[in-house]
Amino acid sequence: MNLLEWILLFGLIVCAAAAPLCKRLLVTVIVYMAYSLLMALVWSILQSPDLAITEAAVGAGITSILFFLTLKKIHALKGTDDG
Amino acid sequence: MGRGNIMLETVLQNRYAVTAVILFGIGFLNVMLQQNLVKKVVGFNIMDAAVFLLLASLGYISGRVAPVVTEGAQAAQYINPIPSGLVLTGIVVSVSITAFSLALIQRIYQQYGTIDLRELRERTGKEDD
Amino acid sequence: MAEKPVKKNWRQRLTAWVDGEREFKDRSLFVMEQRSSVTFRRPTEEEHERREKHRLRWFLNRYPIGAGLLGLTLVAVLMAVVLTMPPFGQPDNPMHNEVAQRYLERGYEETGAENIVTAMILNYRGFDTLGESCVLFLAVAAVMILVLQDKKNTNKQDLAQRAREDTLLKSHQDTILKQAARILVPVLFLFAIYMLLNGERSPGGGFSGGTVLGAGLILSSLAFGAGRVQALLTRRVYSAVRTFGLLLYAGLYGVNIFLGANGLPNYLTGMTMLIDLAVGLVVACTIYGFFALFSRGEL
Repeated sequence: MNLLEWILLFGLIVCAAAAPLCKRLLVTVIVYMAYSLLMALVWSILQSPDLAITEAAVGAGITSILFFLTLKKIHALKGTDDG
Repeated sequence: MGRGNIMLETVLQNRYAVTAVILFGIGFLNVMLQQNLVKKVVGFNIMDAAVFLLLASLGYISGRVAPVVTEGAQAAQYINPIPSGLVLTGIVVSVSITAFSLALIQRIYQQYGTIDLRELRERTGKEDD
Repeated sequence: MAEKPVKKNWRQRLTAWVDGEREFKDRSLFVMEQRSSVTFRRPTEEEHERREKHRLRWFLNRYPIGAGLLGLTLVAVLMAVVLTMPPFGQPDNPMHNEVAQRYLERGYEETGAENIVTAMILNYRGFDTLGESCVLFLAVAAVMILVLQDKKNTNKQDLAQRAREDTLLKSHQDTILKQAARILVPVLFLFAIYMLLNGERSPGGGFSGGTVLGAGLILSSLAFGAGRVQALLTRRVYSAVRTFGLLLYAGLYGVNIFLGANGLPNYLTGMTMLIDLAVGLVVACTIYGFFALFSRGEL
């Protein structure tokens, strides 16, 4: 349990530091998704299942979708038809 | 030596709070220093989550379970429900803030064709002339 | 001009200032205004621009260093504070005071909700959540102002682009997404409704259930085409549901407060469930509204 905690906290810091350093915005958003997912796990460790469910749905799902749609609108997605 | 040991012990004990401070710092530096508006918003979200982490970790009591009361149980079995409730509302509000700022970014792109602050500064400067 | 201003004490001056009277100035004190206007030369446009640019460059060169220093100082201060905090996870921390104690001990009998988090955000601190629902409501309105595209503000190019994308989507069959969605969507809706209705007995409740419901709507909209969801959730229905949720919450909580707020009568024990449902509707509509506005620019 303790080891899992340390891995999660370390992963949080790594994701937070890595997310804005990526060159492509798509990668940034995906790393941010990973950060949110780790956060959801941390909350289930902290015995707050309500938060875990909400964060998993909101952070990893909805916020990322909003980011993707914005990237599509600003033509920042490479390899798609928008270029 | 002794003082260092005590400090290390405090860091290890308050690991969630220390992580939250580090994450807050990362998010803050991103908001201040990034030139790309989308990355600024990502930094803002990181900062959000750090604050929530600090709050939620304050309510935790080791060895206790989530506050869903069952019959014949005592209050001493459960963690503190107050921070959970506060953070729950905060998470949903942070989504709406993100959505609003992303909508602003879309409008900025429509208007100026860029989301980089430096280019934006040049283009807005030209428009004034 | 020779008239001597009457000396006022601070109260009279404050009243005059609030009333919007401008203070009479003794003009002889201002030497600047007595100078002839010829000697005072305004800087030319070029000069002005150059000065501005110089200032901007000066600022931009120093900004990263200043911001970095500010951030590091902030982190150092916060870290110093954190290190003096009471140890993590101890039951006798000052955080765990009589308020939490009372919520845990009496929460079930006072609100009829076994999940104390739900009991707290919907009953004890319901006004807080009401305000927050309003925030969500307003957020959708604000995003709508920014990105809504209807016939009045859309040019032909955008319409053509959208039509092209639609045909592209129709011809492009994403089998994995469709099959996965066919399995996932019913489960998602079931889970969301379970969480909404059972929020007082198990983890979940208005916010979690609402977000999952919104996510289910988004997934079905992505997989089966926007038209299917739009047929079910037209603009009018959407607005009606959103407003209905907020008003239902306000009404129910008003009744709750009116009846004394604690010690609910027996016939009202289902109140928490209904309030949960109202919050869930608002949240789900908010989430789906963001998606719809961002992807299509319309509801």
